[in-house]
Amino acid sequence: MSERAALLPALGWVLLALGVATLPHVPHLPVWVTALLLAAGAWRWLAQTQRWPLAPRWLRTVVVAAATLAVLFTYQTVNGVQAGTALLVLMAALKLLETRAPRDLSVLVFIAWFLAYASFLRNQTLSQLPLLMASALLTTAALIRVHSGRSVPQPRELARGSGQLLLQAVPLALVLFLLFPRLPGPFWGLETSSSARTGLDDEMSPGDVSELTLSDEVAFRVRFAATPPPPQQRYWRGPVLGETDGRRWRHARGSAYPPQPVQGLGAPVDYQITLEPHSRRWVFALDMPAQWESTAATLAYDYTLLAGKPVTEVTAWQLQSYPRYVAGAELPPSLRTAMLALPAAANPRAVALGRELATRNADPLAAVRAMLRMFREQPFEYTLQPPKVGSNPTDEFLFTTRQGFCEHYAAAFTVVMRAAGVPARVVTGYQGGEYNPYGGYFIVRQSDAHAWSEIWLAGRGWVRVDPTAAVAPERVNRGLVRALPADESAPGRLRESNRLWGSVTLGWDLINDFWNERVVRFDTRAQLQLLERLGVRNPDWRALGYALAACFAAFFLALTAWLAWQNRPPRLDPAARWHGKVLRRLRSRGIERQPGEGPIAVLERAAETAPDLAEELLEIRDLYAALRYGPASDGATATRLRMRVRGLRP
Amino acid sequence: MPSLPDRLRRAGRERTERWIRRRQGPDRDPIELVRNRIYILPTPLGLTYALMVFAMVGGGMNYNNNLALGFAFLLASLGLVAMHHTHGNLQGLQLRLRQARSACVGQPIRYGLLVSNPSARARTRIEFALGKELASTIDVPATGEAEAELTVTADRRGRVRLERFIVATRYPLGLFRAWAVIHPEYTALAWPRPAQRGRTPPGAPGGRTGQHARGSGDDDFAGLRPYQPGDPLRRIAWKTYARGRGLHVQQFSGSAVVTHVFDWDSLDPLPIEARLSQLCRWVLDAHERGEPYALRLPRAGVAMDSGPAHRERCLAALALFEAEGARV
Repeated sequence: MSERAALLPALGWVLLALGVATLPHVPHLPVWVTALLLAAGAWRWLAQTQRWPLAPRWLRTVVVAAATLAVLFTYQTVNGVQAGTALLVLMAALKLLETRAPRDLSVLVFIAWFLAYASFLRNQTLSQLPLLMASALLTTAALIRVHSGRSVPQPRELARGSGQLLLQAVPLALVLFLLFPRLPGPFWGLETSSSARTGLDDEMSPGDVSELTLSDEVAFRVRFAATPPPPQQRYWRGPVLGETDGRRWRHARGSAYPPQPVQGLGAPVDYQITLEPHSRRWVFALDMPAQWESTAATLAYDYTLLAGKPVTEVTAWQLQSYPRYVAGAELPPSLRTAMLALPAAANPRAVALGRELATRNADPLAAVRAMLRMFREQPFEYTLQPPKVGSNPTDEFLFTTRQGFCEHYAAAFTVVMRAAGVPARVVTGYQGGEYNPYGGYFIVRQSDAHAWSEIWLAGRGWVRVDPTAAVAPERVNRGLVRALPADESAPGRLRESNRLWGSVTLGWDLINDFWNERVVRFDTRAQLQLLERLGVRNPDWRALGYALAACFAAFFLALTAWLAWQNRPPRLDPAARWHGKVLRRLRSRGIERQPGEGPIAVLERAAETAPDLAEELLEIRDLYAALRYGPASDGATATRLRMRVRGLRP
Repeated sequence: MPSLPDRLRRAGRERTERWIRRRQGPDRDPIELVRNRIYILPTPLGLTYALMVFAMVGGGMNYNNNLALGFAFLLASLGLVAMHHTHGNLQGLQLRLRQARSACVGQPIRYGLLVSNPSARARTRIEFALGKELASTIDVPATGEAEAELTVTADRRGRVRLERFIVATRYPLGLFRAWAVIHPEYTALAWPRPAQRGRTPPGAPGGRTGQHARGSGDDDFAGLRPYQPGDPLRRIAWKTYARGRGLHVQQFSGSAVVTHVFDWDSLDPLPIEARLSQLCRWVLDAHERGEPYALRLPRAGVAMDSGPAHRERCLAALALFEAEGARV
């Protein structure tokens, strides 16, 4: 019982560490798991303070079995980060039911470590760093508390001790991070189900893109090798949508369609694009991609660049694109049919408009111009909050509401073009991007999501037409915020209007970019490059090993030296120092200070034992006493004491 | 018959102990825990920790996740730093015997150790152990001292040498245990186990001779005198003390001072140990009553006296009577 009573202060720390480690998982956990942990923590705390008995063994066994089954039932597996996290939280809750010894508390601290680790597996953005630090500090403090037993350190001492240990651990951790040889994973299966993330989809209903643009999250960052192309050419190509049911647009799965060649015109643009994970395969290349790492990506028939596997981590791509191009000079008949298809009953007025345009304009290009003129000259509005539309959204948009976002314009334009006999499709992706002058790169956010049209013209192939540009040219040239009415709220509005806040966000983005480039994407190649920069010629894993060993040795030496320095005796005041010197000299006479003997008493005893030194020793005693206990020590007394001690010749 | 692994383990342990003893030699006070005599190994918790960190490194590589990998490396590094701190928690401590308190067979013999910390860093949770048994846990403040106690219970009388004990610590994280083996030469005595009360010493109560009437018998109350160390507790005037007048001892006038002569030969038919036990009982009882006594043993004896020092002398004579020492 006394051992259990001593647990209380440590229990508080452990609960705190556990809570902080669980916090980032809460949105991903079933509610009952979180509730169980909270209940177990509260119950354990009360049991400790109110001296309730702990749960009997049979109850614990039943609860363990039930919880494991429940997890199995919820996730169909106990493997992977999702189910594993839930299981860990449950284990913590169950361990709380039976903590009676310091060992149990240590196990809870280990679980807290694992939970923090799991949240890094889920998300490794810079925003996780505070969690890492808080978690490391709290868990270490909790473990120190568990192992300091009955002596009760103050919270501040505990925090200091934990901080000191961690600070000393950082250099070696850094060395390990930089030099520890890495094996390229994965060695075992990664879970395929990924949590939903914001981003484009391969389907589009009216309102989807406008909803996406409410997010200020970064989609990707781009560095151009030379002069960046102007905004009118910065169309980042995502999923191409070629099928419609009148309301919804969908990607046309076209394994049957043959790939169509792209011919670049003019000078190509070289750039690097660093994608944030979005769990899909699209690499948002600049229209039109011409070169990429052929093993890692493929170009679909509709010119969307697809990564070999879903982008679940930060990845960088070296790409080359032609802003001017001829794509698909020949259109296969099957594709032509698909790109002209319209559902029979939907949007009759839009279809009629298309047919009328076709009869009045023999040249398809003239029909395009007529349609764009309609957008420009009639009272169309560009807004993030268009009125709701019903079963024939294109008709209602074109002839009734006349308010819409890019997806409404792109969809309506495509429908009309198809009705006019021009092969057309909707392309989604991003447009524009904000330049970060501090880092020399472009930030493309979810709020830059965009939809436009592509039509096929004989002799020119697929041609991009952005009907939004006819209504709101600002959108293309200067971004979403400038294009929207001033009273409409939009992400980034504050950034745009407040210059200081704009600089702050750009600076913060630069730090995030650095984190992505230097930390998240650090790999074996970067390790070897680092060694090369440090002057190792042709570095390989052996060089890594040597460097690691050298750093380890240096670190251990430094730590040992630091501890020895910490363990040094404190510096004494002059009186004590000279007194110590006297004692050392008296040793040759066989006089040793006894435990518990005062500094004056030992001198007096020595004077009795060695009468020939008595006079000097007694004077030293007086000087010592004056210096030590006298009213104000003056330099003269100290000097005299020093001279007497020096003159002492036993 | 212990199983083979047990025997191997024990043989290994004994070998290690011999090696350590040979390596270090005997210790003399003050014993300083210098760097090269502190051993350190991971605890079971530390091994679990290592496993956890390995799993984390593997997982980080598998998921190609540098933040998780960095966290795993931080923990690995934290473990190694903690190892140094655990080692440093012992290093530089000085031990010396403060007092060895002898006791009867079956009673705890206490060795009080003075542990001093000359450094400016407080030392937390220093454990003292005899063999595998934890004896005491202390904290030593910076540039301060603390007392630790090692308790031994002897099963036969004689000289009890404390030959080997262990100073250890797991602070701060419990992942490592650093320890030092000390081979001191501290000795104490195990006095004979006192016999049951009942047998009265020869000549008593008839031993009340009356020759030494000094007014300190216990017949008639004769007044109080100030307490002196060594006065029997049962004579202290507690009521006076409670009134706040200080410690006093009751004095009795009377015809008699009871004195005893505890004689080996008077216990003739009993075996040796029984005789010693009986003598021990008489000595303890007489001391408690504050009566002077003498002890007569073959080829030895202690002259008539009283007081704690006299008691120690008598008990030592009994403990060491034809004895070979016990070792701990």
